[in-house]
Amino acid sequence: MSDALLKTTRLSAGYGEMPVLRDVSIDIQPAEIVAMVGGNGAGKTTLLRALSRLIPSRGDMSFDGRSIAGATADQVFAMGLVQVPEGRQLFDQMSVEENLRMGAYKRRDMTAIKDDLERVYRLFPALAGRRRQLAGSLSGGEQQMCAMARALMARPRLMMVDEMSLGLAPVVVDLLLETMTQIRSQGVTVLLVEQDVHAALSVADRGYVMETGEIVREGTAKELENDPEVQRAYLGEITVSTVTVVKS
Amino acid sequence: MKSTAWGIVLAVIVALLAALPWIGNTVLVQFGINVLLLATLAQGWNIISGYTGYPSFGNSVFYGLGAYGVAIAMVQYHLPFWVGMLLGLGLGVVFAGLLGLAVLRLKGHYFAICTLGLALVMTAIVSNLEIAGSNIGLVLPLLRSEVLFYELALGLLVLATLTIFWLSRSRFGLGLIAIRENEEGAAVMGVNTTLYKVLAFMLSAAFTALAGGIYAYYITFIDPVGVFDIGLNVKMIIMAVFGGPGSVLGPVAGAFILSAISEVLATKVTSIASMFFGIVIVIAVMFMPRGIAHLVQHIKRMGWGYFIDNVRTHRL
Repeated sequence: MSDALLKTTRLSAGYGEMPVLRDVSIDIQPAEIVAMVGGNGAGKTTLLRALSRLIPSRGDMSFDGRSIAGATADQVFAMGLVQVPEGRQLFDQMSVEENLRMGAYKRRDMTAIKDDLERVYRLFPALAGRRRQLAGSLSGGEQQMCAMARALMARPRLMMVDEMSLGLAPVVVDLLLETMTQIRSQGVTVLLVEQDVHAALSVADRGYVMETGEIVREGTAKELENDPEVQRAYLGEITVSTVTVVKS
Repeated sequence: MKSTAWGIVLAVIVALLAALPWIGNTVLVQFGINVLLLATLAQGWNIISGYTGYPSFGNSVFYGLGAYGVAIAMVQYHLPFWVGMLLGLGLGVVFAGLLGLAVLRLKGHYFAICTLGLALVMTAIVSNLEIAGSNIGLVLPLLRSEVLFYELALGLLVLATLTIFWLSRSRFGLGLIAIRENEEGAAVMGVNTTLYKVLAFMLSAAFTALAGGIYAYYITFIDPVGVFDIGLNVKMIIMAVFGGPGSVLGPVAGAFILSAISEVLATKVTSIASMFFGIVIVIAVMFMPRGIAHLVQHIKRMGWGYFIDNVRTHRL
């Protein structure tokens, strides 16, 4: 476990006087897909913001064996810790291709950038036909693809995807999850932060369950899916509501 | 090839402008100094607001600081003009840096209101500084050389425009545009947003302060109300927005066209000139809300439809 790509030890963070995260210790191994699941307001996004160094935190965290607790946002970005933020945060008035090129903002290897562009277009064929279209005019699913493609253009070592499924049709979510495994096969480690527990665990190797700023469960995706407590709190709900829908 | 052609056309225009004092008369040169300085101010505003997306109402503060830098150096310490320019430049840039660290955390309207408040406060502060001549102001030594001021103003405008041209194709400029389009998105893509915003504000202040310095020596008398004028800030915004914020040449075109219209109106209809000026602005906002630069790029393809489209999309 010593060669973890990302490791946090008793990480705490919050906004002003309000603590949101308490003593969060996680580790992510290279080429893993790890799910971080939990309800609304559990602190998942805060964890991502702390890892990206967008907000200050206490406790230690290391990336590839080096401590990043004192690093700035652009330093950890340069190390390959790249976020796909909640709500996509695309540059709406720029074309798809300009958005993707912004992902390669810190890079100077022009020919490799060109190759990577073609590579992400192959990964997301829906974007390839819309290179010149404004990102703001894309559908929700395409915007999410564009945000993920933009992050890939930065050549991340760890891609942290925040609430990928938000507001998307289940069939689109399935497509994106499928792409996630392809991304992993290209050597990119993925941290999937999701409210949709079922979707996240369906592709993840391992997962953590977060509640009110603390890690309350961890294990392989299978273990978590079969965990009665997790089923009751997150997965059981789905079955019940499906039944209700069928009845009405 | 096309960009070379553009470069030649612009070089000819600059050469013609530079030759103007030998072609035209004194009135034209005086008008020219004002227009060139206004165009420089519009370009300064273009950097922080057009490219970076932070609507500044505090740029008149940098103008005032530049003017007072020259005045204080020349009147109180009997230093040469160029030392005064450096002092004004330093005052403006340092002030923009310190101010930027504090107020560039605010966005949109909040940033606008905060900088507006600051511009108002500056008049009061400078009015109480003895070194700045309190509320009476300072009288600078007279230099009867309008040609010199004209050429200086032209040089500064060319420098500002070249800087923005560089900005429009540099990595730094791309970072600023990313901040304008989506600051959160820029931050997660590795742009050091705080640093970039403060640098843009300082760059904006530099050109604005230098313009103020030239103005002070040219006009020979400055007082707090005159050089920390909110009206001037509004003028630079109107010119930049009319011309096309976030474009290289738009604000210059805006300054030239609006100054010419306003000058013609002032001589033809005098008393109701400002009303006509207002009408021009309203029409511009209705039919070409993104400025002349955007109009020029799209009119060829869309024809008259461009204007109809604008009115329709903005539901006027």
